[in-house]
Amino acid sequence: MAKVIQLDNKPWLRANNSRRFLIFLSSVVPLPLVMLGAYSINLDMTMSFLTIFLPLQILTAALVGFQAFGKRGIGDAILVVLTVFFSLFVLILLLSVLGSVLTEGFKTISSQFIIQNNVYVSTTTSLDYGGVGHAILGSLMVVALTTLAAVPLGIAMAIYLTQSQSKIRDLVRTLTQALSGLPSVVSGLFILTIIEATQIGRSGFTGALALFPLMLPTVARVSEEALKLVPVDLRYAALALGAPNYRAFFQVILPAAKSGLITALLLGLARVVGETAPLILTVNANNGTNFNVFEGGLATLPTYIYGYLASGYQTSQARAWGAALILLILVGILFGLARVLGRTKSLKSKAKK
Amino acid sequence: MTIATTKSALQAEGVSVWFGERKVLEDVNLVFPSNQVTALIGPSGCGKSTFIRTLNRMHELIPGAGLAGSIYLDGEDIYGENVDAVNVRIKVGMVFQKPNPFPTMSIKDNILSGLRLSGRKIENAEELVETSLRRASIWNEVKDRLGDQALSLSGGQQQRLCIARSLAMNPEVLLMDEPCSALDPGSTRRIEETIIELSQSMTIVIVTHNMQQAQRVSNQTAFFLAEENTPGGVVEFGATEQIFHGPVDQRTNDYVNGHFG
Repeated sequence: MAKVIQLDNKPWLRANNSRRFLIFLSSVVPLPLVMLGAYSINLDMTMSFLTIFLPLQILTAALVGFQAFGKRGIGDAILVVLTVFFSLFVLILLLSVLGSVLTEGFKTISSQFIIQNNVYVSTTTSLDYGGVGHAILGSLMVVALTTLAAVPLGIAMAIYLTQSQSKIRDLVRTLTQALSGLPSVVSGLFILTIIEATQIGRSGFTGALALFPLMLPTVARVSEEALKLVPVDLRYAALALGAPNYRAFFQVILPAAKSGLITALLLGLARVVGETAPLILTVNANNGTNFNVFEGGLATLPTYIYGYLASGYQTSQARAWGAALILLILVGILFGLARVLGRTKSLKSKAKK
Repeated sequence: MTIATTKSALQAEGVSVWFGERKVLEDVNLVFPSNQVTALIGPSGCGKSTFIRTLNRMHELIPGAGLAGSIYLDGEDIYGENVDAVNVRIKVGMVFQKPNPFPTMSIKDNILSGLRLSGRKIENAEELVETSLRRASIWNEVKDRLGDQALSLSGGQQQRLCIARSLAMNPEVLLMDEPCSALDPGSTRRIEETIIELSQSMTIVIVTHNMQQAQRVSNQTAFFLAEENTPGGVVEFGATEQIFHGPVDQRTNDYVNGHFG
């Protein structure tokens, strides 16, 4: 009679108890040793983690790996430990940045802080007065103006780079890549010299001009990648149905690349929304609210943060933290909005069911 | 079966094709009579797929592609000076090797996409969708979910959707480039039935690697071959019956009987 094999649902979870015990030991043993080391020779926490914990963890993991799978288990275990360790390292870094902005920022912000401007505020004014309303508005206007110019042009460049068979295409691509390495302060300096030479007044518009060369290559390159991902089969299918090139592009290729293009927009926004240097050079500061992006000084969140951090007063620094939190929230809202707009049809139809 | 003597819908005269400097097809002369199915057979790399793409000017989309000779559709050279490739492709539909429905569109929109893409007005959308899907014998499977994504269909259904999409344009000629190579036997059989039905109202050219399929669906067959370091060409062309059961050329005999290729 054939032996009946009992099949369980998750064979990969099958592990015997001695192995479980070893894995447990390997992950726990190094920790008390770290404590001991930190206590006895006065090492600081980070150093002891790097010099004691990590090597010990690798050693024990390798032993367990060897016990469980033989030679190939060693490399596997070491890689797992290193991956987890450095992922945690980056995660902690990220969380601590976020955490400090959140804790410091929330001390400052209030509804008044979000809405009001800073006309009657000096460096020592109490936090009960004034706010970043004018800087939020300024940031939105400048970034919107930049986006309006950079996104259509960037996508147009991507279309050119993917659809044409022109010979200067490679040159255009190389130049775009070179442009994406442009330091933001250089872009600001460039616009500054133009301002000086032409005597056009500084305004939100000149700020947008300075941000434009930063956003354009990002949008163009990411859009190009998004368009490249659309299978050439779809283009052929459209053309074989008697579509002119432009209709094939707008009705088939563009919708298929939509979510990728939204990503391009997001990365472009992320590139410029926190830019400080070009705006300091090309936009005059302003403590009041200015609705005109083409004339007069304009406050933006990054320059606001920079301005208040530079003065040593506690209330000013608190304002800067608050503005940093607002900037973070603003970026979050912009990203969320773009994601909702970029949602593909399939998701919508699934949601209806 | 014999070659019908009705007027020819499509005719290739002295067609040669280059990719860059390399000549891949030499002096192909074929006649495709109306309402007949013509099978193009031959080993891989013999230029039959290249040839079928010249019939609706898809060939010219490949960078570096060149062509000599003429292809007449209803007596007019489709490579003539005043002929727009777009108009050729409206009259000559094409089904590709891999099913390629538009992923962002519903089943219904896929059917109507041809009209939208060629900028024509859509009248009686519902009716057009139904008749096209019926002609591709997929209506019964999808009639209750016309609004679903085209990608929710199985591979065989997707391919029949692509056939229906071409049929919605009401083409005079339908080109099929190995339409069943990615499909299971059941889907293949249904598509073959569809081909036979469609041949009552249009001219069909089909590239296939499947000898049985060529015998089942076609009226006439052209055997392509590219011998070492020479461009491909037609070795033998005639009624399917004759190509498979009494070929004149020894190479044709060897190929259809599975001795090479």
